[in-house]
Amino acid sequence: MNVLTKPALGQPKRKFADLQRASMVRWAIIVALVAVLELTTRTGMISQSLMVPPSVILAELASIVPTEQFGQDAARTLTTILTAFSIGLVLGVPLGVFLWRVPAAGRILEPFIVTGYAMPTLLFYPVLLAVMGLNAGPIIVIAASMSLIPIALTTMVALNAIRPILHKLANSVSASPQQYYLKVLFPAATPLIFPGVKLGFIYAVIGTVAMEFILASQGVGFRAGFYYRELNTADMWAYIAVVIVLSVLVNSVLTWLEKRIRRDML
Amino acid sequence: MSHISPIDSVGHDSDVVFDNIGMTFGTGTGSTQAVANVSGAIPEGKFVSVVGPSGCGKSTLLDMVGGLLKPTQGTVSINGETVTGPRKDTAMVFQEDSTLHWRTVLDNVAFGLEVKGLPKTERYESARRMIELVGLSGFEDHRPGQLSGGMKQRVAIARALAMEPRVLLMDEPFGALDQQTRQFIGRELLHIWEKTRNRVLFITHDIQEAVYLSDEVWVMSARPSVVKEVVTIDLPRPRPEGTHSLPRFRELEDHLWALVKVEAEKTLGPGARLA
Repeated sequence: MNVLTKPALGQPKRKFADLQRASMVRWAIIVALVAVLELTTRTGMISQSLMVPPSVILAELASIVPTEQFGQDAARTLTTILTAFSIGLVLGVPLGVFLWRVPAAGRILEPFIVTGYAMPTLLFYPVLLAVMGLNAGPIIVIAASMSLIPIALTTMVALNAIRPILHKLANSVSASPQQYYLKVLFPAATPLIFPGVKLGFIYAVIGTVAMEFILASQGVGFRAGFYYRELNTADMWAYIAVVIVLSVLVNSVLTWLEKRIRRDML
Repeated sequence: MSHISPIDSVGHDSDVVFDNIGMTFGTGTGSTQAVANVSGAIPEGKFVSVVGPSGCGKSTLLDMVGGLLKPTQGTVSINGETVTGPRKDTAMVFQEDSTLHWRTVLDNVAFGLEVKGLPKTERYESARRMIELVGLSGFEDHRPGQLSGGMKQRVAIARALAMEPRVLLMDEPFGALDQQTRQFIGRELLHIWEKTRNRVLFITHDIQEAVYLSDEVWVMSARPSVVKEVVTIDLPRPRPEGTHSLPRFRELEDHLWALVKVEAEKTLGPGARLA
């Protein structure tokens, strides 16, 4: 925690230059990869029934994005992700607090939770579909349960990792339970909880898109799966590109938020 | 071991009074009696240090005054009221770094007042005063990660002082600092205290520090601890730079050393004599 929150004191300028160089190399790799894909697909080294040239994907995207159907799919997927993530957060954090507050419960329940982490929950999808019907409900249940686990586990671990002296300090100034949680525990635990929250969000994205891909009536994942089954490679890749862009975007926002929270907590 | 009361008559109502307190951890055969039959008082405006061998229950004594531990025997009272939990008129400084790393120095110093519910302008005003008092002016917007160990302890001291405590409880506050910083910050604490004159209960294992800072030094025995002797430090105040080399200072230091050594040998065994 210390290492992460410590500002770079020595030679900050050089560090910035290093970061800039790394980012340039990173972009060069991306551009090179896209160029290689373009070349191999154009020359037929990769069959166009598997992968279409990136330029074609881009053109396809340009024609898809303005359509009403795309708007509906994107809105459906985004609201599903956000709902699942919110449920994961609202249940995961209190669950983590409970596991920390009642260590006996933590010892008993932790194996279940860790197993839940390792288990392919998507296997329950057909059952949920049968019970809840073909709508966003089953997807939300699966994605929320996937999202909840890393959030709960990191919350518990983060609270356990708080320096004991902070409990003593809060106690010595007679902090109320509310002050104890809001002014001491959560701020102290945030740097450790946040990676779990980030993971929870990513799991919500994966869960949503994967379930949509398997079976749904709407959504970006559904559309990619639909074109896959239709053998429409160009449209399938266009939707896959949408998912990739969405993931990168979400991750960038979360990383930015993580840095801000660390710097300006409370 | 006979028990000697630090003062013959129990103190005034306004004092911090220990009335035959004891603390036993655990029950049955596995129990440990950390503190036994401590009586005494910290009078208004006095700086009292407690020295004794490691593990003799010095910190336990302090935690009982701070309301963090409830004595299993006897009572501690402040201002005539029995201590039952943390009080608004006591403030603690710990050995470890207790700064809140996500807060600025200003918000760290204001923390106690914030918990008390003081409005922002008021708590910042007194926090700024305390920051100046402990010599951290200009660091208000820094975060603890950017400060040295000594500066972080000054933040903790300022936070405690900002609460304007009737009793300031310090549990080896300089214990984790290097010798130079320790002496320097000790001198500063003395200057500050001469301005504020709170009651201080100061736990330390550094005898020189205890003599330099205190009006009274309580020597605790090995476990189960009692106050073995109260040594009045009759050095004049203010105590300038050269105080450490006064013959009387040496005398007091030697006397305390002798007392503590006997107790340390009891805990550590005769091998301690070789050390």
